[in-house]
Amino acid sequence: MDTVIIDGLSFALPLFIMAIGGIYSEKSGIINLALEGFQGFGAFIGALAVVLIANASGIDIQQLFYVALIFSMIGGMIFSIIHAVLSIKFKANQVISGVVINILALALTTFLTTQINALVFGTASDKFQLGVSDRFTIEGLANIPVLGAVFTNVYPFEVIIIVIAFFAWYLLYRTKFGMRLRASGENPHSVDAAGVNVSKIRFSAVLISGLLSGLGGMCFAYSISANFSSSIYLGYGYLAIAALIFGNWRILPTLAACLLFGFARSGGAFIAQLMELPSGFTDLFMILPYVLTLLLLIFFSKSNSAPRALGEIYDKGKR
Amino acid sequence: MSKDKRNSIVSKNLLRPISNEKWQTITIPLFSIVISFIAAAIVIFLIGKNPFQAFYNLFQGSGILPKPSYAGYKSMLTDFLSLLNAMTPLVFASLAVAVAFKAGLFNIGVSGQMLVSGFIASIIVGYSGLDAIIAKPLVLVIGIIAGGLMGGLVGWLKHRFNINEVVSTIMLNYIAQYVISFFIQMYYIDPVSRQSKYVSEASRLTLVNVETANLKMDLPLGFILAIIFAIFLKFVMDKTVVGYEIKAVGMNRNAAKYAGINVGRNTVLAMVISGGLAGLAGVTYYLGYFSSIQPKVLSSIGFDSIAVSLLGNSHPIGVIFSSFLISIIDQGSTYMSSQAGIRQEIASVIVGLILLFSACGEYLKHKVGQLKETEVVRKESES
Repeated sequence: MDTVIIDGLSFALPLFIMAIGGIYSEKSGIINLALEGFQGFGAFIGALAVVLIANASGIDIQQLFYVALIFSMIGGMIFSIIHAVLSIKFKANQVISGVVINILALALTTFLTTQINALVFGTASDKFQLGVSDRFTIEGLANIPVLGAVFTNVYPFEVIIIVIAFFAWYLLYRTKFGMRLRASGENPHSVDAAGVNVSKIRFSAVLISGLLSGLGGMCFAYSISANFSSSIYLGYGYLAIAALIFGNWRILPTLAACLLFGFARSGGAFIAQLMELPSGFTDLFMILPYVLTLLLLIFFSKSNSAPRALGEIYDKGKR
Repeated sequence: MSKDKRNSIVSKNLLRPISNEKWQTITIPLFSIVISFIAAAIVIFLIGKNPFQAFYNLFQGSGILPKPSYAGYKSMLTDFLSLLNAMTPLVFASLAVAVAFKAGLFNIGVSGQMLVSGFIASIIVGYSGLDAIIAKPLVLVIGIIAGGLMGGLVGWLKHRFNINEVVSTIMLNYIAQYVISFFIQMYYIDPVSRQSKYVSEASRLTLVNVETANLKMDLPLGFILAIIFAIFLKFVMDKTVVGYEIKAVGMNRNAAKYAGINVGRNTVLAMVISGGLAGLAGVTYYLGYFSSIQPKVLSSIGFDSIAVSLLGNSHPIGVIFSSFLISIIDQGSTYMSSQAGIRQEIASVIVGLILLFSACGEYLKHKVGQLKETEVVRKESES
């Protein structure tokens, strides 16, 4: 039972931070399907940085976890500039821009990973080995029945994500910047009339989504996959988008959606293990989160409301 | 001469080839293709290889240009036929995306629809002992029906429950992937290849290893069908009421509603057509280009097709040309990497760049329009 909570949380939280990035972007009016590409590219830059640093200084890769997180955020942010420029300055179709960025991210990082492995390390490998980050347990709290699992075998990044998520919540709902950002997605003309540059707000929103997605990708690379390779593109970015739409573009319901994904995922694996079913059945339990989402959407979608100006290219002259 | 003026002259000359509005639908994609090849050439040059040789190899590998030597039973023709073979599912998939796009919908679930139709066709026809003359049409029909139902489900969910089609297609992609992987691993696994069992030759839509004139070639029957479907689709979209209504819904749902068009029915219909085309992509992929299904893997064609369709302006005929180009790069990459010593992955980088630049098409159009306007204003002030 504990493993369900432990694994569920360590899957749900990186997903959550990516979804928050998506919320920022979509609340400002920019559809963001590029989360998948941002998280992959961010993780690539983070992994590349630590592999190079470890190679040059001889420090163990495990120790460089926080360095990787910082670089992944920078990497995700830099890559998100493409989406921002394309969809804000170049007025491209935002969905297409997002899909294209995902394709480019996969191609570019796969190419660069093999190329750099061959050039710098002289190995024919398509991945950067990272290992799994250390975990910690909070002694006293871990003994509480059931809930104690929340404090057992925690990855450090889970704490970081919670802190950042809280800050992101505050920024979006309690500050002037957050209000303007949300208004840009509902009625950009009124924002403009108030003397605020809509393009700038949207640009920064997309950059924030890149930053947070990069972080999420790095967390996946350091926990589930333990390396960076093209297998990081498992569609978690799309899953995050589903979570945020399911969460009605609000941060707290989105957290619930992510937790649902996480627990349904780990719960399914747990049930399959408990019933001692052959390994083929694990696949059948893997569909749980997705079926649940579809079913819940059928009941809740009527009340779903996307930001009104979502996907609309902002044109000053248009009324 | 002021710097400003010089800049405007430079950009005017640079944009001159694409300034004719009538031809912009063709010139702008061509422009982005040229730019991305230049960008790729710079990358190849930077890693110390000759870009021209690399591009030449790309065309050689895909059967457009002759190679210096061929293995037994191979020639330029066989290379070209395998290019068409690989291209067929991409054409269907891109048409699927294009139809949905015309109705204002994004069908991200092409991969899932492909997988479902490919799997169902495999178990019903591929593992039966049916004769080719019955099996092949049956595979096509099953592909269309299975894909169409999957697509229709998405359209219905959107219409009835207001579920965003992007989310539902993503969810269905995952569900299809895992459920089918389960069935393959439980019942249809080939213990050697770790894939599903091979389908019978009779049911495959590609005739493999046909020996004529001392050559062994793969004849993709689906390719002819893809061309026919593209032309038919252009006819439906441009000349029929159905096409008109779908386009009207895609342009403005509310306006279409006020004009008395049944938006819900057209949404579902567009998704059924789109899904059916995706189903055809699935059967030409899993029972044509390949003859088995790899569990737990969604084909990347589903996502590539979104961008290929964009490159072809979501126009049925344009889609054929854009799939052709993308397939050349894909198919030629193996030969290029063996000849020029460049990593094969560069091919997908080139594809990514082409798609990226073509996404900027709207901006180029806008920019050209702006330049023309300033020119008109200047001429007026001069006279």
